[in-house]
Amino acid sequence: MSRRRRRIAGLAAVALLALLAFLILTRPRAFETGPLPPASADLANGELVFRVGGCLACHAAPAGTPGAERALPTGGTPLPTPVGTFYPGNLTPDRETGLGGWTEAEFLTAMVHGVSPDRRHYFPAFPYRAYAVARSEDLRDLWAYLRQLPAVRAPGRAAEIRLLPLARRTVGLWKRLAGDPRPPAADPAQSAAWNRGAYLVHGPGHCGECHTPRNLLRIRDERRALAGGAHPAGEGKVPSLRGLVARHRYKDAAELALALQFGETLGYDKLASGGMGAIQTELSQLPPAELRAIAEYLVSLP
Amino acid sequence: MNRSPRRSLLSMLVPAALAVALAAASVAAEKEPIQARQDAMEAQGAAMKALGAIARKEAPFEAAVVRQNAETIASGLAAVAELFPEGSDRGAIETWARPEIWANRADFEAKRTAAHAAATDLAAVTDEAAFAPALGRVGNACKSCHEKYRRPKE
Ligand code: HEC
Ligand code: HEC
Ligand code: HEC
Repeated sequence: MSRRRRRIAGLAAVALLALLAFLILTRPRAFETGPLPPASADLANGELVFRVGGCLACHAAPAGTPGAERALPTGGTPLPTPVGTFYPGNLTPDRETGLGGWTEAEFLTAMVHGVSPDRRHYFPAFPYRAYAVARSEDLRDLWAYLRQLPAVRAPGRAAEIRLLPLARRTVGLWKRLAGDPRPPAADPAQSAAWNRGAYLVHGPGHCGECHTPRNLLRIRDERRALAGGAHPAGEGKVPSLRGLVARHRYKDAAELALALQFGETLGYDKLASGGMGAIQTELSQLPPAELRAIAEYLVSLP
Repeated sequence: MNRSPRRSLLSMLVPAALAVALAAASVAAEKEPIQARQDAMEAQGAAMKALGAIARKEAPFEAAVVRQNAETIASGLAAVAELFPEGSDRGAIETWARPEIWANRADFEAKRTAAHAAATDLAAVTDEAAFAPALGRVGNACKSCHEKYRRPKE
């Protein structure tokens, strides 16, 4: 073999190995279960998870769609992000265009691993890394809640991202670098409300998706959890949720709970722009005790 | 006539100086609306806070106080009609106005008018039972514009 040939063969081998490593490292994971144990669904809790999870903040129909039910997660509103524009899909149980054909295990795989029924990665613009730390009862109740919504036909639209299939696969690498999401540690020294608040904020509430700063790889920096930072869609700055009382933003937890419930309707500014308005609209539907729990946890952050 | 070179230089300099002055003036006029609209919005925010304190029962309900604050809001919203000129999505001071304002001018204007109408209704409230719902309509009108047309400040 000539030297040149040998070099080409060597390069090809390296490229092949690199491709193999890429494919292995980016392999999507499924939810490792056999048949799920039967559960008696608590629909009220399912709705609570739906609200605190802010599903409608991203999966609503575009404003002004003829005949669209704004209150149902029929999808299609553009979600601009630095990697491209997404059109989060229809979550109603329509067989063709929604989740009608999905199994519960497929839903849990999407919510916990960010992997689709056809085994492809979802982009983290879908905040599954927060939903992953939600309790499985909560996710199963959420599934039961979504199943009983009226089925609406609303065809989806592919994300506008360059080299989409390759980009999707590469998300697998990002997931590895980001590591497994961990639920907030329970603190028995704190009240039950505080622990509930910590769970809602870091779990289904996904508050850190916007309020926690990210590193260059856009992985959340949990050491500076909720300290504010660049807006995920490049829309200015997201405020910090630390020291809210020391900085005189709110008098106490009770006032913060009111602000979360009423937002600008009680004269609280800074709860409308950059996506917070849609989140606050959903939070306003929660029972006051849940808002109080969120507030109690937040005001304890130095 | 034989113009002196000096004069012809002057005849060139004067229009040039004028052009520079005009350009500077138009920059000043462009910077001004950003400051002015932010000041108007700040005043509305302060008025909303005062009204919020009444709704939370931290301050007594007094129709005159409600009217005064609602009028501050209404006049601010009237003033800002002229304070979002084309091109003022940037300027000498930082602005949090989103460029979409100028792409959806009619929608932006509709939101401003709706908020103005809600504030005018609030100014006419004399009965405590009608106060909280009327305040809520104003707040929702502020929110629906800020959701779409304002970037978060920090
Ligand atoms: C911050 C915006 C955002 C929020 C909040 C959000 N999603 Fe999504 N969701 C997305 C995006 C973006 C995608 C598509 C991701 C992709 O294409 O890779 C998606 C995709 C999905 C999918 C996969 C749909 C399909 O057709 O493959 C499911 C299921 C889903 N979301 C459920 C939920 C539920 C349930 C909630 C509330 C608990 C929720 N999402 C909240 C942005 C969001
Ligand atoms: C989509 C991104 C996003 C998510 C998710 C989000 N926030 Fe926000 N939040 C913002 C932005 C942006 C602002 C500033 C809004 C403004 O200036 O109008 C904000 C403002 C706030 C404020 C006001 C801070 C202050 O200084 O007064 C509070 C409180 C808050 N958020 C709480 C929460 C909680 C609790 C959650 C989770 C349940 C949450 N946010 C989830 C983006 C988000
Ligand atoms: C028609 C749209 C619109 C309406 C209605 C509206 N605003 Fe604004 N508001 C804006 C925009 C745009 C900005 C950002 C201006 C800038 O930075 O140049 C802003 C900024 C603000 C600010 C921050 C000012 C600063 O110093 O940066 C406050 C406070 C505010 N608005 C309060 C209110 C209140 C209270 C109401 C309701 C009574 C209201 N706004 C109604 C569009 C609106």
